[in-house]
Amino acid sequence: MIRSLLALVLLVTFTLPAHAADKVKVGVLKLTSSATLFVGVEKGFFKEFGVEPELVYFQAAAPIATALAAGQVDVGATGLTAALYNIVLGGEKIWVVADKGREWPGYPLTAIVVQNELYDGGLRGVTDLKGKRIGITQLGSTFHYHLGNVLEKHGLTLNDVKIVPLQAMGAAMEALKGKQVDAIMLPQPFPGTAEAQGFGRILAWGGDLFPWQIAAVFYSKKFAAERERAVNFMKGYAKAARYYHDAVLAQKDGGRAPGPNYDEVVAITAKYTGGKPEIIRIGFPYQDRNGRLLTADIAKQIDWWVKHGFMKSALPLSEVVDTRFLETALKALEK
Amino acid sequence: MRVVVDHVSKTYTDRGGRSVDALRDVAFTVEAEEFVALLGPSGCGKSTLLNVIAGLLAPTRGGVWFDGARADGARGANARALSAMVFQEFALFPWRTAQKNIEFGLEEAGVPAAERATRARHYIELTGLAGFETRYPHQLSGGMRQRVGIARALAVEPAVLLMDEPFSALDAQTRQLMQEELLGIWDRTRKTILYVTHNIQEAVYMADRVIVLSRRPGEVLADVPIELERPRTEQMAGEPAFVQAAERIWGLIKAQAWAAIAE
Amino acid sequence: MTRLAVEDRTRFLIRRDHPWWRVLAVVGILVVWELFARIGWVPVLFLPSPIGVLREGADMIVSGEIAMHVAASLRRLVLGFAVGAALGISVGIAVGFFSIAEAVGTPVIAATFPIPKIALLPLLILWLGIGEASKVAVIALGVFFPMAINTYTGVRQADPLLVRAAVAFGARRWSVIRKVMLPSALPMIFAGLRLGAGTALLLLVAAEMIAVESGIGFLVLHAGNLMQTTKLMVGIVLLSLLGVLSHWSLNRLERVAISWRQDH
Repeated sequence: MIRSLLALVLLVTFTLPAHAADKVKVGVLKLTSSATLFVGVEKGFFKEFGVEPELVYFQAAAPIATALAAGQVDVGATGLTAALYNIVLGGEKIWVVADKGREWPGYPLTAIVVQNELYDGGLRGVTDLKGKRIGITQLGSTFHYHLGNVLEKHGLTLNDVKIVPLQAMGAAMEALKGKQVDAIMLPQPFPGTAEAQGFGRILAWGGDLFPWQIAAVFYSKKFAAERERAVNFMKGYAKAARYYHDAVLAQKDGGRAPGPNYDEVVAITAKYTGGKPEIIRIGFPYQDRNGRLLTADIAKQIDWWVKHGFMKSALPLSEVVDTRFLETALKALEK
Repeated sequence: MRVVVDHVSKTYTDRGGRSVDALRDVAFTVEAEEFVALLGPSGCGKSTLLNVIAGLLAPTRGGVWFDGARADGARGANARALSAMVFQEFALFPWRTAQKNIEFGLEEAGVPAAERATRARHYIELTGLAGFETRYPHQLSGGMRQRVGIARALAVEPAVLLMDEPFSALDAQTRQLMQEELLGIWDRTRKTILYVTHNIQEAVYMADRVIVLSRRPGEVLADVPIELERPRTEQMAGEPAFVQAAERIWGLIKAQAWAAIAE
Repeated sequence: MTRLAVEDRTRFLIRRDHPWWRVLAVVGILVVWELFARIGWVPVLFLPSPIGVLREGADMIVSGEIAMHVAASLRRLVLGFAVGAALGISVGIAVGFFSIAEAVGTPVIAATFPIPKIALLPLLILWLGIGEASKVAVIALGVFFPMAINTYTGVRQADPLLVRAAVAFGARRWSVIRKVMLPSALPMIFAGLRLGAGTALLLLVAAEMIAVESGIGFLVLHAGNLMQTTKLMVGIVLLSLLGVLSHWSLNRLERVAISWRQDH
């Protein structure tokens, strides 16, 4: 029904003479993690290759995946969750095409925050989390995956802790504050806020404990079929990714070294997210300079979700990842 | 045991804050085993008076005495009440069977279950309710319901049975039969009965004496003895004593009844 | 001169029972739904087919998942319902019978009743923690209000004649409450229970969406988060069955408790 309604809408749109714009609808969250796309739009990198993107803002990651599957947006940029893989398992097509963020050593993004008292009482390592209540947003979220892998890396399992799904990030913060959980796993700026307000201490940054491909750029089935535009979109994206990388992620002598365009990227991000520049400066998520995915990591994720009962069956990588758009685009850019 | 109504007055305060005289200086006596009818036009305070006698309403002045009552008041060891009421609208508990309704007063008096059942049994037989013990009130006809009401009142073995227009909610034929029935019961139990009615024929047919009350404020207009033999029969309605008594009473209240209509 | 037969002119007003139409309506909807899914007009992801839901449900019964979730939900529901109903009936009677309780109770209830109980959930979590207590408490609260208000109304609607009759036959305060007020209020109390059952189910789902790992509400939310729509649909079917079950059992209970009523 949704699809046929949409088809009708599209039919009407296409039969109208003035459809020249042909915009690509891009579903994003108003967060720093969407900075690459904001840069691409603001700097006109997409337009350069004849693609006119139209940003569609969402409140949460899951609806972006749903909207992609329903064809309501052409491109999506969000986290890799069990929901996404289950959509593909459910018979819909969504393609993971490019890197949009990694948990990476040296780049603070998500942290495990513990109660002040516990930290002072000697809780200093991941193994000390055994038997503790840990608040996250949802089961099957990126945090759930991340926490599970961190624990497993340290010889524990998810069964050694009590995972408390609190639905919203704010609720998780409140639960830590109210001592209803012992620890939480949340992205910036929450860990910083918890420390600043004095009720939580950052135990460790997720990227240091377990690096992984946390977010990606997705194509809808329909957009992927329009091969040329899809490749052109990637050209713009790759350019934006390099610009972003050089401006905010570059490192020198083991520390971060802001590039010449650092302030510009901060300003663009502030403009699109409506956030305060000083908050935005706290941290930009790492991503590959060319936008290349950690393809093998996605295979690992799928295995993990299946093993832990969040997916009914495994999914061949070829059903969900397609790096050819980006590779073709990168080749074209070299010329 | 005789009931002395000793110069009872009752003044209400209505919603507008005005005081309304319902009864004014009402005085009469009901002798033991006597059947007295209390008659008057509507709004004469008959029911108010009955409630005062039952102890459900405090009089403004005066009082009610039960001569020969035991010193311990309303309840003796054998759970005899001073008075028991039979209501116009039956006032049966719809969630209780006929038998459980009859046992209600005994329950409240703390009579043990076995004795309650025995006593209820007796009054079930007496009022012709045998076979209907387990019925709920809504499963009974109007006549049967009032039998339950009468049995419930008799079960507490009151010194005086107060009846507030007990048959006025029944259809004419049923009422006729119930009147006969009540006379039969009275004959067997010899209860003192104070019977409120607005029906002159009914009052004359059943009572030994008819006390006629005036319109509000209710005052005793006359105390009319009925010189008819017992047992009473329907044919007596043609006898001169019947007709004269009825006419005398009608003469007393006719003007008042007109006034009541005009009000 | 022609003869005209008098016809029954009320015939079009007669309402007949159509048992076959009832069955047909349900079956029809299911068949159309299944067809839609088969043809592929609606992606299975967005509207799972009835047969798919049935199959998933069967799998979940075998794996014990359904039993686990239903047991967890039922425990919260029954506990919350019992506490809420007991408190509601007691308060309703007190407020209906004692004038001081009425003076204190009615404004308090009037002020707190309109608060959507879901809004109190975060507060209850703060007070009682994220464990079972806050979940049971929110259900109890949801049940409490309709119970208190209906019991109060029922007590106030008790026939004054019956109260007078009881007093005339020697009943004191507690007898009047127990033997007249309470049975008089029973029909209203059952109406309250039915209202409460609906509210309880709603609050159960809301409460089970925070910090739990079992219960039908969790199942629905979790399956939704994971985009496992067939599982989600199983949860919705379970909720509907739970609603039907509670309605049915209350009806049975009422029939036993109010057997003396005319309309039974």
